Amino acid sequence: MTNQQDIELVAKAVSAQDAAAFGELIRRHQSQVRNFLRKLAGDPTLADDLAQDCFMHAWDKLHSYSGRGSFIGWLLKVAYTTFLQSKRKSKRYAEILESAGHVADQESRTHALPVDEVTDLDKFLAVLTEEERAIMVMSYACGLSHREIGDATDMPVGTVKSVIFRGKEKIRNSFDIKDHQHG
Amino acid sequence: MTSKIINMAERIKDAEDRLLESMFESLPVADDGFSVKVVGKIRRRLWLRRLTLPVAASIGGVIAFKPLASLVSTLASFTSFVPNEYVNTAASSLPQLQMLIMGAMLLAVCLLGLRTLED
Repeated sequence: MTNQQDIELVAKAVSAQDAAAFGELIRRHQSQVRNFLRKLAGDPTLADDLAQDCFMHAWDKLHSYSGRGSFIGWLLKVAYTTFLQSKRKSKRYAEILESAGHVADQESRTHALPVDEVTDLDKFLAVLTEEERAIMVMSYACGLSHREIGDATDMPVGTVKSVIFRGKEKIRNSFDIKDHQHG
Repeated sequence: MTSKIINMAERIKDAEDRLLESMFESLPVADDGFSVKVVGKIRRRLWLRRLTLPVAASIGGVIAFKPLASLVSTLASFTSFVPNEYVNTAASSLPQLQMLIMGAMLLAVCLLGLRTLED
């Protein structure tokens, strides 16, 4: 799965409006995008809905991918923007509900997982801010370079590094990570 | 050179980085029809876009036909101000104005339809 093949598929999808070529790109990257959004949203169903929206947005903006940097980096940028937009929308919705007299607990419901399904990773992610979570997931789960993360989040590389450093420190201070195993 | 050094420095991972990587690692998510679903949505959207223009043009043509025809006939009445020798020439060169407009509209719709089929 090389970036050169991705670029060829993008060119095919853009020049001929070829939905099949874009379908191949989705097949290649859906797992990483869905995993990224699952870790960010904390709810698989919501994450999959966001992933669908993300690929629809990616289709609309595909012509803007210049080939500079990896395609997955560009796709995760679209995914992160989609996530932030949906978050803003749900916040606005919660505010409307609140002003109408309803209890706005949508957010806590969205992120609530059954106690037996909470993993060490969920506990780690819980101590991080949204931005730190996104950057840590891009770095450690998706294997993006600091430069790619910078492109995806519109941040300078130096800021990305300091966010990662801060995230690691938070995890280190909250947990003795040497005692934890993956699960 | 500097960027190479930065890249190399990024690749040097300590034990903590490797541990975090193993913790953040997750099993690949099975496609399970996800890509087919998204591609289906995109195809529907493409069709919708292709159909919108010809349908809008046809509806616009139907709606605009009557007022356009009356406008043309009103404009034609202004020919009374034009000297007779000129009016006779114009009337003989445009005998069925309504048919001409209808033909132009049909031609436009056909061209749009052909373009859609070609796409």
